[in-house]
Amino acid sequence: MYGKGLLKGLKVSLGWFLRKDLTEDYPDVMPNLPDAFHGNPIFEYDKCIACNLCVTACPNRVIKLETETVGKKKVVTAYDFNMQYCMFCGFCQEACRTGAIRFGKDFELTKYDRKKIKIRFVTPEQVEKKKQEVLQAEKEAAEKAAKAAEKPEAKATEKPEAKAAKKAEARAAAPKKSVEES
Amino acid sequence: MFETIFVDAANWLRNLLASINLSPFVVEIFMHVVKMVVILVFVILNVMWLVYMERKVSARFQCRVGPDRNGPYGLAQILNDVAKLISKEMIIPDHANKIMYLLAPILIFAPPMAILAVTPMGEGMAAVDLNLGLYYFIAIAAINTIVIWMAGWSSNNKYSLVGGMRAVAQMVSYEIPLLLALVGIIVLTGTLNLNGIVEAQRDVWLIFTQPLAFFIYFIAAMAEANRAPFDLVEGESEIISGPYTEYSGMGFAMFFLAEYANLLIMAIMTTTLFLGGWLAPFGWTFLPSWLWFIIKVYFVIWVAMWLRWTFPRLRVDHLMNLAWKFLVPLAIANIFVTGLAKYFIG
Repeated sequence: MYGKGLLKGLKVSLGWFLRKDLTEDYPDVMPNLPDAFHGNPIFEYDKCIACNLCVTACPNRVIKLETETVGKKKVVTAYDFNMQYCMFCGFCQEACRTGAIRFGKDFELTKYDRKKIKIRFVTPEQVEKKKQEVLQAEKEAAEKAAKAAEKPEAKATEKPEAKAAKKAEARAAAPKKSVEES
Repeated sequence: MFETIFVDAANWLRNLLASINLSPFVVEIFMHVVKMVVILVFVILNVMWLVYMERKVSARFQCRVGPDRNGPYGLAQILNDVAKLISKEMIIPDHANKIMYLLAPILIFAPPMAILAVTPMGEGMAAVDLNLGLYYFIAIAAINTIVIWMAGWSSNNKYSLVGGMRAVAQMVSYEIPLLLALVGIIVLTGTLNLNGIVEAQRDVWLIFTQPLAFFIYFIAAMAEANRAPFDLVEGESEIISGPYTEYSGMGFAMFFLAEYANLLIMAIMTTTLFLGGWLAPFGWTFLPSWLWFIIKVYFVIWVAMWLRWTFPRLRVDHLMNLAWKFLVPLAIANIFVTGLAKYFIG
């Protein structure tokens, strides 16, 4: 019959008319983002072990990591995230073993000043605090070791510690090179 | 109290003028000027509202929100649009016929205004109670074709010319089923006065006694108003904007707004002729008659928008086939059946 299709079309469009609209009122209401969304980078200073994996994983060399060896441990002195080159691939997030660098859900990343595009995550106070903590910890460890040395089984505990110190020295040399490259 | 608010206002003004010892002739002329201004304001307000309504309704059909940034519910969008169009330069092409080119956007608003003079918008609310109201409506509505043709021809642009020719072909073709559909109404009501036609629908609306005529009239009127799916005159994907291609600024705005004025006229005439005009349905007289009229008109407009956002544009030959091979024979059959029914029953 003529016109049957027309009526069907009208029925369909009326169905759409009565449906709830799909628009997200973005500036008024924040959109519902998926869990795996790559928004602003978030860096947790205390979790970072200065392993340098994120720096090597980044295809655009966005991340710049600087370290300083305090006692036997490495301390992160700078973690710069150059946002203008970031393509939000999430490789750094994947590479990180401690979850120190990850992406949040904030996507409003525009800045009024060009200098603010580069995010400097680490503040001097944080570095100073961390250094103090490391020194304190080593001091305590040394005291413990001295106490332990008085006991007869001292030799057994001393050996692995010495090995770990040697390894740490070897690692400290490698990241410094990569920093110079980037 | 609200029922007679406009009639009372008119009477008060008339008495006021008579009380300051003006001659009846001067009073009459003054009243006509006032009515003209009221119609002008009515058309402008409705057309501006329709631009907004079309955007909102089309958005709803596509599960969007539509304009909602400017003002409450995006209502200030109308003012923004108008301000933008007024502030733009109106460019006249080098080889255009300047007089015709500039005259067309001015004249395009004349037919809708003239038609509104005879339409009863409430009980006793026709600006002019014309005996030949329906005849007058048909005659004036046909003039629209000439104005669009003027625009298309004077632009000296191939798209404009094609659009103008399409307008003439389409509007002249659809004028015939439109007229023939209305003959059924005239046979039944026995009058050409629009007030009389509305009065004749007091018991039953003409859409129920003349459903076929309504069907033909509605299709033909949509084509007359250049509404989608009959918007071949504009046909953006084929001929850019048809006769309006070369127009810019306020010239374009006039055509753009006149489209909506034509839609308004189409809805008003459909309401008056088939949906009982200002008569309240089921005797629900708790709303004043002019409000019922507006509600009906906007329902018809909504249906027209519903059709627009559902159907794709017709092809030119299909358009002509629909008019000449389908609507015209159907309309003639309708007249025949109506005449027989009137002869044997009425």
